Amino acid sequence: MYDVIIVGAGPAGLSAAIQCRKWDMNVLVIDEFPKAGGRLLGQLHQEPNGEWWNGIEETKQLTETASKLNTEIRLGISVHHVEKIDDGFLVHTNHGDFASVRLLIATGAAESAAPVPGWTLPGVMSIGAAQVMTNVHRVRVGEKGIVIGINVLSAAIAREMQLAGVDLHSMVLPAMNPVTKDHAHPKKVMDKLSRIAHLAPSAFLRFGGKVAKANIARKLATQFYPRNGMKMWGMPIHLRKAVTQINGTDHVESVTMFDVTADGKLKKGTEKRVEVDFVCIAGGLYPLTELAAVAGCPFHYSEELGGHIPVHNEEMKTPIDGLFVAGNITGIESAKVARAQGKVAGLSIAREKLKGIADLEYKVLQAMNDVRKTRNEASIQFHPGIEEGRTKMEDVFRESKKTETAL
Amino acid sequence: MDNITICRCEEVTLEDIKNTAKKYNCTAREIKLRTRAGMGYCGGRTCRPIVDTVMEHVTGEKPGDNIPLKVQPPVRPVSLSTLEGKENEK
Ligand SMILES: Cc1cc2nc3c(=O)[nH]c(=O)nc-3n(C[C@H](O)[C@H](O)[C@H](O)COP(=O)(O)OP(=O)(O)OC[C@H]3O[C@@H](n4cnc5c(N)ncnc54)[C@H](O)[C@@H]3O)c2cc1C
Repeated sequence: MYDVIIVGAGPAGLSAAIQCRKWDMNVLVIDEFPKAGGRLLGQLHQEPNGEWWNGIEETKQLTETASKLNTEIRLGISVHHVEKIDDGFLVHTNHGDFASVRLLIATGAAESAAPVPGWTLPGVMSIGAAQVMTNVHRVRVGEKGIVIGINVLSAAIAREMQLAGVDLHSMVLPAMNPVTKDHAHPKKVMDKLSRIAHLAPSAFLRFGGKVAKANIARKLATQFYPRNGMKMWGMPIHLRKAVTQINGTDHVESVTMFDVTADGKLKKGTEKRVEVDFVCIAGGLYPLTELAAVAGCPFHYSEELGGHIPVHNEEMKTPIDGLFVAGNITGIESAKVARAQGKVAGLSIAREKLKGIADLEYKVLQAMNDVRKTRNEASIQFHPGIEEGRTKMEDVFRESKKTETAL
Repeated sequence: MDNITICRCEEVTLEDIKNTAKKYNCTAREIKLRTRAGMGYCGGRTCRPIVDTVMEHVTGEKPGDNIPLKVQPPVRPVSLSTLEGKENEK
């Protein structure tokens, strides 16, 4: 029986494991990917202060520290169910079952699709898949592509592909349909980008930030958005063009593109065909919570945090005894925040086992402060209003504890 | 636009979902069971957010705190022999 099993070897899971091992706990880390590091592995961007964030280097530091501490990490194993048992948890995997007293779920985030007719053709992929192919597997995704969906993540990954020498025609919106909704609405896309623009290093986002201060300016900026797009590192970003269809017989051959109004309506007679051999779709991220759900954890819906989130507090505890969560499963934020949250979770788990160690009490508080600090200084933010979302969650956790004692 | 695929594993289109909603005038859960949208090989990891969005669009049901269309184990595809092996271990 392990003291703790950690599902997910991303920045959150690994930094939690390191803390647990520092306090000499019996730890097992499980991840279904053949390499440790999670989504960190694909990341490469320049911070506003000019420094580069290189996910492979960051991963190396974490895995080296973990291995110095003799951390047991099993890769290429999928967890398909977790059960609460009397004295802990039973973790079901495709390589047998493992039992532990405590469980940390650090499974990160997954991508939402923004489907456009033709999105099932070979050659269409999510923007995250393009990131993994480019930066992790070092495979060229195609000869010439287009990115459908304009958000912080797709802008960052488009830049990564550009650095790797992949040819991108442009970034455009998906055409409006019942599923693409806000992703297809130029004003809403502009709104969202501009609220986080002060953080962004890129010229495009900074442009958004400048014009975006006043509501009226934002409206004008969408209305008078240049016909040929704004350029980011030489690549056009079109807030006023949308793809209605991806074409091809056995493989992507082209996309059909229209000009759109500031509300995302297609303009008749502007139809154009753009030849590409791959398409990246970017519909945003959502917390991957399936295991918390089957473990019976209560949930709270929070738009600010990115969707349905397992109820938890700042110490990364859920209302279920012994069940902890950390990283993007608690809300979509940058890798630095996930790593800082993992540290809190690890210390909080150690504290629960070792009980009454003053040093640990202090360390948990310090680590929680560090999360707040990292959040405030984050250079990448996926959702505006993250702070509000976090505060609300704290209340929801307190409420859940109250009802529990009342029962 | 209605011929757009929503659930890739089970090949369910937006049209299938809309028609089912109209014909049976039913809840999101019933639409899911009737069309199998989100119940395929990937366990809904690819389409869950869009299935939720479509369901909200056609039924008008707003997202509450509970995860719509409950998550069921196994959350990853596993072979029957794996599941069976487990039963023996217990
Ligand atoms: C496509 C994509 C691109 C991103 N790009 C950036 C970026 O450029 N910059 C940035 O700051 N943030 C980015 N993010 C956000 C990213 O989620 C965080 O940066 C950070 O990696 C979150 O850390 P984590 O430890 O919570 O989760 P992750 O790093 O996602 O790690 C979770 C791990 O859990 C494993 N796992 C999940 N389910 C199971 C299971 N059932 N069984 C076994 N293992 C499982 C996964 O294989 C994964 O390795 C991106 C996210 C995604 C999805």
